Amino acid sequence: MSAIEFKNVSRSFGRDGKDVLVLDNVSLTVASNEFVAIVGPSGCGKTTCMRMAAGLEFPSQGTVSVAGKPVIEPGPDRAVVFQQFALFPWKSVYENIDFGLRAKGLDEAERKRLIAHYIGLMNLSGFESAFPHQLSGGMQQRVAIARAYALDPQALLMDEPFGALDAQTRVVMQEELVKLARKNPRTVLFITHAVEEAVYLADRVVIMTSRPGRVKEILDIKSIREQEQWDQHARVEDVMDLASFVHLRTRIWKSLREEHAGDPEH
Amino acid sequence: MFRSTDDFFATGIGRFATVLGVLLVTVLLWYVATTVTGFIDANRLPRPVEVWQSLQAIATDGYGNGRLHQHVLHSLKLVAMGFAAAVSVGVPLGLAMGHSKRIEALINPAFLLLRPIPPLAWIPLAIVWLGLEDASKILVIFVAAFVPSVINSYTGVRNIDKPVLEAAQMLGIRGFSLVREVLVPGALPMIFTGLRLSLQASWTTLVAAELIGALYGLGSILNQAAQDIYPAMIMVAMIFVGICGAATTWLLGQFERRAMPWQQKSVLQ
Repeated sequence: MSAIEFKNVSRSFGRDGKDVLVLDNVSLTVASNEFVAIVGPSGCGKTTCMRMAAGLEFPSQGTVSVAGKPVIEPGPDRAVVFQQFALFPWKSVYENIDFGLRAKGLDEAERKRLIAHYIGLMNLSGFESAFPHQLSGGMQQRVAIARAYALDPQALLMDEPFGALDAQTRVVMQEELVKLARKNPRTVLFITHAVEEAVYLADRVVIMTSRPGRVKEILDIKSIREQEQWDQHARVEDVMDLASFVHLRTRIWKSLREEHAGDPEH
Repeated sequence: MFRSTDDFFATGIGRFATVLGVLLVTVLLWYVATTVTGFIDANRLPRPVEVWQSLQAIATDGYGNGRLHQHVLHSLKLVAMGFAAAVSVGVPLGLAMGHSKRIEALINPAFLLLRPIPPLAWIPLAIVWLGLEDASKILVIFVAAFVPSVINSYTGVRNIDKPVLEAAQMLGIRGFSLVREVLVPGALPMIFTGLRLSLQASWTTLVAAELIGALYGLGSILNQAAQDIYPAMIMVAMIFVGICGAATTWLLGQFERRAMPWQQKSVLQ
């Protein structure tokens, strides 16, 4: 069963009295517990795709549905991890994770158990009572990921979650997300412009064209990853050194370069 | 002990010592200019000793219908009532306008029209409506303090990061919980800016309102002393307006610090 489904989705924005087409007839399905990354040139509408699945924006044409239901508003069944973390600065780490659980109406014992579990999993022990501004960017994003996972959503929507982090932190977070995703498989729609990140994390990578965004091609990474046993390597750099990884990365790069070639800004 | 003079001024003791020092120097200059050299005519600016005597006179024997503490308490009471009323209506209204475009559209036109009217322009109407008693002064203070409360609370909500609001939507936060746990804390720094401006406006307006007709209050002392051509007493009243304004602002600052523990700059190691 498909957890996230985009069916003939188009989206245009009114700008200076003209309609600018951002997404053109995008159809895409993400299977249950599948990790799909969308890569594409900036302005191709990949973030718009994620926001439509979240219910923060809506298609001009076509339908977006999650777990069989059309998306009509934001909700905790589709947890979002934002690029800028979007934590509540006035709430502690614990309260940030707890907030959505309270809104879901879980009882206190269950909330405590869940929070403790994800705080441990995301290496946040000892920082329960810290406020976000007291934490590094990497730790803040770990809180945001814990907050999203704790909701036990139908789909996790991640919008360049590591884009605001420095290079070293980004690598650590990628490793942690891989561990988390393989241990607790969830339906994930992951938006990024970093090709290596997409190949390393995803089961499938969707390449989009430059504006108006269309699905250009979809690559199956999972079968290659399993065949070549990437997950035996604990470190990102070792995986990224494998011939199979390099091959996939280069292939996606070339595909994206074609898009840039048609873009007068590049 | 201190690496630079800036470090010294940043400490509580350092700041207190600075204030004290500046005060002493001011009084000293005042003393030299009026008493020692006679550079400034004592009929224009009273000498420190005259002000001190006037202070003693009003504190013990009273002046203009009451003793100093009665005047101060009366003014404080009016400010407190007008300010409290303005804030308890203004802040929720500003929050509502910031959150809901519909409420903003409904209220903003009236607000834009009323805003440029100086609060003091309300005094005649307030007197016609409520007479020369306290109620009319409270109304005028209310009008003056209302505007900054509304505008800053409104701006506070508007300035909350959009992703933070989207995160709240995503988590399914709505209704009272959204107001209490997202909108109010998110707008709180601006709300306090509004409260400070409202408080300032309250004092300014109070004194002006009391000048026009009041039995008690710091403004009434000013009025009486002007009629008696008693500059030393005018200065006593002015000094106490300053002290009261500074003290209430300080008190508000204490509330502010306690209300926003997440803004303190401690960094965990």
